[in-house]
Amino acid sequence: MGIPFFSEEWISAYKTAINGNPAYKTAAADWTYGVVALICKALPPALPTDVGIWLDLDRGVCHEAKLVTVAEAAKAPFCITGEHARWKQVLKKELEPIKGMMQGKLKLKGDLPTIVRAVAAAQELVNSAATLDTKFLDE
Amino acid sequence: MDYAADLSFLFTNPTKVVYGVGSSADVGLELGALGGKKALVVTDAFLSKTEIVGKIVASLGTTCVGIFSEVPPDSGVHAVNAGAELGRSLGADSIVSIGGGSVIDTAKGIAILLTEGGSLLDYQGFQLLTRRQTLHICIPTTAGTGSEVTYFAVIKDHDKKRKLIFGDHHIIPDVAILDPSLTVGLPAVLTAATGLDAFSHGLEALTSAQREPMSDALGLHAIRIIRRNLPIAVKNGADLKARGQMLIAATLAGAAFSNAQVGLLHAIAHTVGARHAVHHGTANAIAMPHVVRFNNDVVADRHRLVAEAMGVDVRGMSDEAAGLRAADAMSQFVAEVGLPRSFREAGVPQSDLAACAEAAMSDGAIVYNAKPVMSPREVLGVLTAAWSG
Repeated sequence: MGIPFFSEEWISAYKTAINGNPAYKTAAADWTYGVVALICKALPPALPTDVGIWLDLDRGVCHEAKLVTVAEAAKAPFCITGEHARWKQVLKKELEPIKGMMQGKLKLKGDLPTIVRAVAAAQELVNSAATLDTKFLDE
Repeated sequence: MDYAADLSFLFTNPTKVVYGVGSSADVGLELGALGGKKALVVTDAFLSKTEIVGKIVASLGTTCVGIFSEVPPDSGVHAVNAGAELGRSLGADSIVSIGGGSVIDTAKGIAILLTEGGSLLDYQGFQLLTRRQTLHICIPTTAGTGSEVTYFAVIKDHDKKRKLIFGDHHIIPDVAILDPSLTVGLPAVLTAATGLDAFSHGLEALTSAQREPMSDALGLHAIRIIRRNLPIAVKNGADLKARGQMLIAATLAGAAFSNAQVGLLHAIAHTVGARHAVHHGTANAIAMPHVVRFNNDVVADRHRLVAEAMGVDVRGMSDEAAGLRAADAMSQFVAEVGLPRSFREAGVPQSDLAACAEAAMSDGAIVYNAKPVMSPREVLGVLTAAWSG
């Protein structure tokens, strides 16, 4: 039985996975651009409203990971929004996140060049998430 | 040429294309068909004084509520904000853009602000919009950027000396009117530069990491048309047939790269253009053969297709050899149409190449390069070769 995606338990495990991933620490060593928020669109009944994950990232370390409202998430300098099905594709490595943004499968609010520069770090964030035993909300 | 069994792609091309000599006179009819009632014409200061704009405004009649003619050659955030302010004050519900890529991209930015409000920098991101933007008919007066059918708007942030790339399917223009007669006055050097910009779109769409069959077809056909017609249009700007072919090719290549994306070549051209005011098409033309050589070990089979489309005889050659022949043929093509073949000739200081390489690593296009680019040193290698020529 996996951990429900976008639950507080999953987010806590995600923070641990990020900080336990040496490849992320290396790839994100130059990341000093602040919080990245991930918003998942509602998927009733499992996820009745849109929710966000607040990731306070700095120089390869995740200092804080928490569940937030969309309004709070929107305050982050980088905010990436997607449907649950898209996030599922990302975690299953069927959708590379930056290419997903380009194709409109994910929406980016924030400075694209900064995100592009962090492509390796973004990939390691995905790799970190992929290590979790995730129970997706449509399963 | 077969595609992988697990191929997966998206292709979208919603723009209605109207082509023909004199077709710009139909702009009023096209606007009416879209339901536009109050059109803001967006153009530049030079064109606003020509009969090109005069005739189009006349065709629009009373539906033209105003003209914003303050789009500079290398448009910026301030121009978008000023155009939107004028549009709001006039109650504009639609935009007719007349000009080159800078004008059309400015109009795309204005279209966002007329629908969403605020300032352009509020919309930094990618695929951020959630609804259709202001109605937009564009009438290109150059044959190169393909902006009439793309989901991109490249707008300069003059304060930070960099080009911002806005990408969103909701800003693809509704109608593109391709009237060859509007491009006959384009000087030879701009004809060459914009034409090679279109060529570079076809090339990079074919080799991009997101290449797909629809864009392959569009890109290859664009390259065939450009190789044949660009020298004619450069030599005799009044040749309406060649002008028309170039408009068609630019639009084909635009639809190709709007879907398949571009790569390292455009990352370099955006950066060198922003830092040293080298025309975007010229920058692409200069760097093109060198990027092809850089990518050749990964996409030589694709470069063979390009060589064939250029009319180069590559029979009996390996893909790798054919790819290198394509690069040589591009270099000759650039010289044939009278453009510089090195960044040195274009006035780029050698001392800034490392900074250009660093900046290119942050350009969205680089993500799609055929060969993953992991280090600014790799870009510097290409830039150094392109600087020497």
